[in-house]
Amino acid sequence: MEFSDPKLKRDKAKFTFVQRDEKIYDKKFETKPVGYFKDAMIRFGKNRTNVIATGILFTLIVMSIIFPTFTTKNYEALETRMAFLPPRVPIVENLGFLNGIQQVQSQQIDRSSIDPVTGLGVPNSVRYPTAHILMDTLENYDLPCSEKIETCIGGSVRLQNRTDNGVTVFQSLQSVFSDTSANPSISLNVKEVSPGTTLEVLAKDGLTGGYVVVGTISEAGEYTFNLNEAFESTGLFSTAVQLRYSSTNTIEYAEITEITLQDNRSDTPLINDLGYNLSMYPIVEGNGRSTRFDATITMSRFSYDAYGSALGDYTISTFSQVEYNDLMLAHGEACERIPNPANPTGWLHGEDCPVREVLRETSAVVVDGVEFRSYSLVMNYGLYRGYEDDIFFLAGTTDAGRDLFNLTWVALRTSLLIGVAAAVVNITIGIIYGAISGYYGGKVDILMERFSEVIARIPFLVVLAISVAYIGPGITTLFIVLIVSGWIGIASVTRTQFYRFKGREYVLASRTLGAKDTRLIFRHILPNGIGTIITASILSIPLVIFTESTLSYLGFGIGHGQQFNIGPINFSGVSIGVLLADGRTEIVDKPYLTIFPAIIISILMITFNMFGNALRDAFNPTLRGSN
Amino acid sequence: MLRYTLIRTVWVFIILVTVLSINFILLKNAPEFPPTDQDQADIYYARQVADGYMTIELERDPEMVQMLREKIRNPNNHPDLVLIRNARYVDEGTQFRIFTPVPLINQYFAWVRNIVLDWNWGVSTRVQVNVPVYDVLLSRIPVTVRLNLVALFFYIPVGFFLGILAALRKDTVTDNVISVAVMILISLPSFVTMTFLVLIFGYGLGWLPAQFPPADVTGAIRYTAYVLPVLGLSFGAVASLTRVSRSELTEVLTSEFLLLARTKGLSRTQAVLRHAMRNSMVPLVPGIIGSFVGLLSGSVIIEVIYSIPGTGRIFIRAMTQNNYDFNLILGITAFYTIISLFAILLVDLSYGLVDPRIRIGAKR
Repeated sequence: MEFSDPKLKRDKAKFTFVQRDEKIYDKKFETKPVGYFKDAMIRFGKNRTNVIATGILFTLIVMSIIFPTFTTKNYEALETRMAFLPPRVPIVENLGFLNGIQQVQSQQIDRSSIDPVTGLGVPNSVRYPTAHILMDTLENYDLPCSEKIETCIGGSVRLQNRTDNGVTVFQSLQSVFSDTSANPSISLNVKEVSPGTTLEVLAKDGLTGGYVVVGTISEAGEYTFNLNEAFESTGLFSTAVQLRYSSTNTIEYAEITEITLQDNRSDTPLINDLGYNLSMYPIVEGNGRSTRFDATITMSRFSYDAYGSALGDYTISTFSQVEYNDLMLAHGEACERIPNPANPTGWLHGEDCPVREVLRETSAVVVDGVEFRSYSLVMNYGLYRGYEDDIFFLAGTTDAGRDLFNLTWVALRTSLLIGVAAAVVNITIGIIYGAISGYYGGKVDILMERFSEVIARIPFLVVLAISVAYIGPGITTLFIVLIVSGWIGIASVTRTQFYRFKGREYVLASRTLGAKDTRLIFRHILPNGIGTIITASILSIPLVIFTESTLSYLGFGIGHGQQFNIGPINFSGVSIGVLLADGRTEIVDKPYLTIFPAIIISILMITFNMFGNALRDAFNPTLRGSN
Repeated sequence: MLRYTLIRTVWVFIILVTVLSINFILLKNAPEFPPTDQDQADIYYARQVADGYMTIELERDPEMVQMLREKIRNPNNHPDLVLIRNARYVDEGTQFRIFTPVPLINQYFAWVRNIVLDWNWGVSTRVQVNVPVYDVLLSRIPVTVRLNLVALFFYIPVGFFLGILAALRKDTVTDNVISVAVMILISLPSFVTMTFLVLIFGYGLGWLPAQFPPADVTGAIRYTAYVLPVLGLSFGAVASLTRVSRSELTEVLTSEFLLLARTKGLSRTQAVLRHAMRNSMVPLVPGIIGSFVGLLSGSVIIEVIYSIPGTGRIFIRAMTQNNYDFNLILGITAFYTIISLFAILLVDLSYGLVDPRIRIGAKR
């Protein structure tokens, strides 16, 4: 071995061979070799927050499989009696919230139900049976009301003309008999009369006579007009009360609060019209109008035991005998008949029998010699359906009586599966497209780039419009929208990776050794860029889920009642977007329908993004923190 | 630079024409949904003929008339007689007046001619029957654009401020709080945030209107009504701007020219304000222009949730199942396409201004 530079003079004797007599072997590594993925995993594990987020994400996914599979609650069938139950959570319910008690507002009360002691009324409606209203929370309050309905009481009635210089005659609904000897009189309580207008009170003179003016009013006040003074005839007469209102223009008005027709034969007035009745006076002449003012309607607010009501007794008017007999058989001794002294047509059953009481039996209908009967009965829904007393719907139930808690997990599963399925398609197309474009470069690359640019520039509303026009809303449309431009991100990432690695020496070396394109792509280039591609793929899944739920929310994705299969996987038609869209219509009264699914999808999106970011940090430490 | 501008502009026009043409041809080829009302339909078809999308043919052959009548009454009659798709058959006793669509390609040229010469985008068929699409849009666009502009001018300062704050206080509590908030806001779908906003501030606390008030409402509510949709629209945008500006600024803060600025005697504030901020803003500007496109398409769902009478909501109405209003859909998608493509053009051009390599025309 000669040194090439002659100027350097080295003394050969100073150099000795180190290992002249030793044989050199490969030394064993003292530490374990760390591969690319292992390295990434170590880095991944170092970021505590992201590991926790990933943990939550996988817990969500596991829960979406476990909960619907092992639950005993109904989340598929329609069960109207269980509809809209508020959330109820064990233990927490003792703290006073999430206890299955529904706060009911603005329910009109039934005036006949007003309790003389407390002065409070209840709605008495089928929707809110009195038995399940928590009486200590019952409150009544008045709201102003101007509608001509009977539940709206008091206030005054304003009479107006629709034409200038108009005259309108209003007439009371009732006609009554009286006698002039009984000193009949008409009293009015007039709240206001516009200056320049007159209100005349008329009554019918005698049994067959015409209406005569008994009094004229031109300003506010209380008036009493004796009919005897105006009448010419004496004796028995029959009359309604007429009000003749005349004004010069349409803005002026007369406002009345009460009209009474009384005679001294009894203390109760013959006619006593206030608010509602007054407003219902038909017009017998002219074309005026009457409007109500200052009337009030009494509403109630209360807490309502929705669970008790749903599981409690209710009346079924026709219940088939066959089913009834089956129930009797199934419950055996518990359902022995007990005669009901109060109702001889029916009978009672024991405490533990789902059928509480049979009200009556319909007469038999004979078809082909077989008798068919049905019963009108009182059923206990909880016993009938075999529910325990303390059933807990953790997130409440939907309009169809489905358990929202489990439904949300099912929806989450559907969203995830659609997201993953669409993402897999996008990733496949994207990798192939990007690989071809990046590997071959040149004209191919330019053309493919231009093409993907055009595709990427198509607004998604255009794609949506076209596919909805041809296919209609549904799963196919959803997939088309998700896929048409979804692959472009992955394709451009892949392309960049290919540009980065295709010129490397090892690729050149392999090519010189005769490797084909496929081998170069799949053995030498793709594995090197795989970390970045995986990251981009994972991060594309939440994006797909996001689009899916948005579209379903707008009603263009999947919807209730749809069932579809992708390969062996069966999808239900419920996704988080669908649940939220359902909840939107009830958001004021029943926000719980929205809150739970919204929280779940929020957690899913947040953890999925954090998981993706953690993966990116792990695979490409140089990008850490750049987001 | 001129060459670059020219290429980008021409390219955007090519994409625009392509997208609109594909859209027109595909939508016109789909089964049509003309006005349901007879009188309105008469007016509509007369317009179709006048605009050159259809021709009128008369069928006088009594035998054919009878056959057609039977066919229309029951589609199973006369299986070999095929009715023309999207045509209208008017029975006039002794004859049939048939409105037949002209071939699609001719319709396309008629459409282009109508738009270029008369700015005639057709009439709405279902949403506002026989009202020109352009007029329908014109009444909706101001609301949407106003909403989006307010959101734009709201989110830019907020996003910058938070991003700068996070970058300057990197790895402190402030930074961490902002990063967590960014992570959450960037992940939440806008309809979820909007729903919660409406639920809390609209219905729960009652501070702000829970729905967009009708146009004739006056007073403060007209302005407060914009608060919730603007928030709902810009949360995501604020988050991503914060994130990007933070990372840009952190990168600049560690660069050497900033060190030089400090060594020549500038205070930290001066160095940050004069050197770091400017340099970090430069790559952000195109992103902000681009974000307008994102805002605009995001506003569709906000408009639906908050009942805002904008283009997004009318788009959804035009897309009601089996009640499609294709002319209106065409108009609205054209509006969205034009705006987004021109925003993209602006982005490209601003890149050109920012990046000298592109300006000079060097290849990537």
